[in-house]
Amino acid sequence: MNLWDRLATIDRRIIYLLVALGVIIPIVAKLSFRVTPLREVRQAYEEIEKLPPGSVVLFSIDYDAASMPELQPMLVAMLDHCFRKNLKVLMMGHWPLGLPLGQIALEQVAQKYHKKYGVDYAFLGFRPGVAAVMINLGKDLRQVFNTDYRGTPVDSLPVLRNVHNYNDIAILVGLEAGATGDAWVQFAQARYNQKIILGATAVVAPDLYPYLQAGQIVGLIGGLRGAADYEQLVQVPGPAFLGMPAQTIIHILVVVLIILGNLGYFARRQGGRR
Amino acid sequence: MMRRTIPLIITFISGILLVFALFIPHKPFGNLEERFNDWYIIVSGFTMILGMDSLLLHHWNKIRRRQADWFHSAALIVAFAVTLVWGFYSGIKVGNPFDPKSTFLQYFYTYVFVPLQATMFSLLAFFIASAAYRAFRARTLNATLLLVAAVVVMLGRVPKGSGASVVLFGIALVALAVGLVLHGRSLVDLRGQLLAYGGAALSILAIIPIAKYFPTYLPAVADWIMNIPQLAAKRGIFIGIALGGIAMSLRIILGIERTYLK
Repeated sequence: MNLWDRLATIDRRIIYLLVALGVIIPIVAKLSFRVTPLREVRQAYEEIEKLPPGSVVLFSIDYDAASMPELQPMLVAMLDHCFRKNLKVLMMGHWPLGLPLGQIALEQVAQKYHKKYGVDYAFLGFRPGVAAVMINLGKDLRQVFNTDYRGTPVDSLPVLRNVHNYNDIAILVGLEAGATGDAWVQFAQARYNQKIILGATAVVAPDLYPYLQAGQIVGLIGGLRGAADYEQLVQVPGPAFLGMPAQTIIHILVVVLIILGNLGYFARRQGGRR
Repeated sequence: MMRRTIPLIITFISGILLVFALFIPHKPFGNLEERFNDWYIIVSGFTMILGMDSLLLHHWNKIRRRQADWFHSAALIVAFAVTLVWGFYSGIKVGNPFDPKSTFLQYFYTYVFVPLQATMFSLLAFFIASAAYRAFRARTLNATLLLVAAVVVMLGRVPKGSGASVVLFGIALVALAVGLVLHGRSLVDLRGQLLAYGGAALSILAIIPIAKYFPTYLPAVADWIMNIPQLAAKRGIFIGIALGGIAMSLRIILGIERTYLK
């Protein structure tokens, strides 16, 4: 087997080992790269930034643990931003298995800013029927959530006393690992003109660009890079910021592998012709 | 006949009423939509029970018939039972299984479920790297365009990617030049040789503009790819999906499409 053959047939175990090292070394060595926030992330940040204190922001947890590395840092950074600006935070979700992740982040950041449950924030939980929930939220929130996740009537929570439908929600933040973001745009934005910011995994984010360009969403935070951008904007470096060197190294590794694979492929093809 | 006709009538009336409700959001249609949505939410809740029943029955039958890998099914049923019992126990004790004080959330969810699910998804990083190496070959013009776009976006959207791109594209161009020279040496006709050597020279010369402009413009090129060609294709796909959705909805409402009744 000559060099070209070797290049075209690298053992997958070697590739796996390189990927593992490419992820582990930058994290263990605590490397950090400065990022220049993308325009769409800055837009999202500025929309939150210009809200007056006391405005209500509704978070929708539409992901689960599989997408946690990308979306959880995004959520923590955005919650930090909201609580720092004294905004009121409501949380709900369409992915029941991911909701506790949202709750963990909410409690953690609320504690940091000494916020009180029911006064500054509330956790509404999950209701089945994605589209129906979104439409009914536009008519009457109490029709969908008459109690919070603990079973406390929403009317007894000061944070929800004046929240009846989308008119009382300044911005809806959907954190998406699937197609729920499309439904938010179709039902909450198109029907009720609700202002929406979407955060999504890097795989889902390209699907959401048309909404951003059409002005149907006012900000888009895509993947770990988007989360790192937001962490940098709110100046709370977290897991996304620390994950950037690993992601950069893996991207470079993949490009190197593609180049090597193609070199081997063309050299072998050339050899075959002879 | 009744088994088919009644569902078709229900589908037709529900569909038509909801279409009216969208365009006439006033009484009685507006209220009807709310009522239908409430029913939908209730029915959605019951579909979970249906899902559980289907899942458990499928795996129970696998165990009963001792089919291949039946022990995986047994593990699923045991895990299901443990989760259910623990969830109920925590719920009764604390009031909600997902309350931060519940043992279900603290132990099972945080230390078993989350790491397992995250691990499953993390494996993708290894598979994607291996798959990219094996599948991303510049076999045709389309494949080459896809490959170049992917590389530009991958490097243009990570910090330090622009700097790395100069080195990587430089190596690729030198390799291309070497390949062309070797190819030229194997040719017998002068025209072919000139083309190969000319291509090699151009590849080497292309390194200069790449080194000069890539560090500055690569992120902008990546953004352009995401905002223009990517968006155009996505929008086309979305419009196609929407038209397909409308056509399929009409077929279902009008009773032409009946596969859902089987």
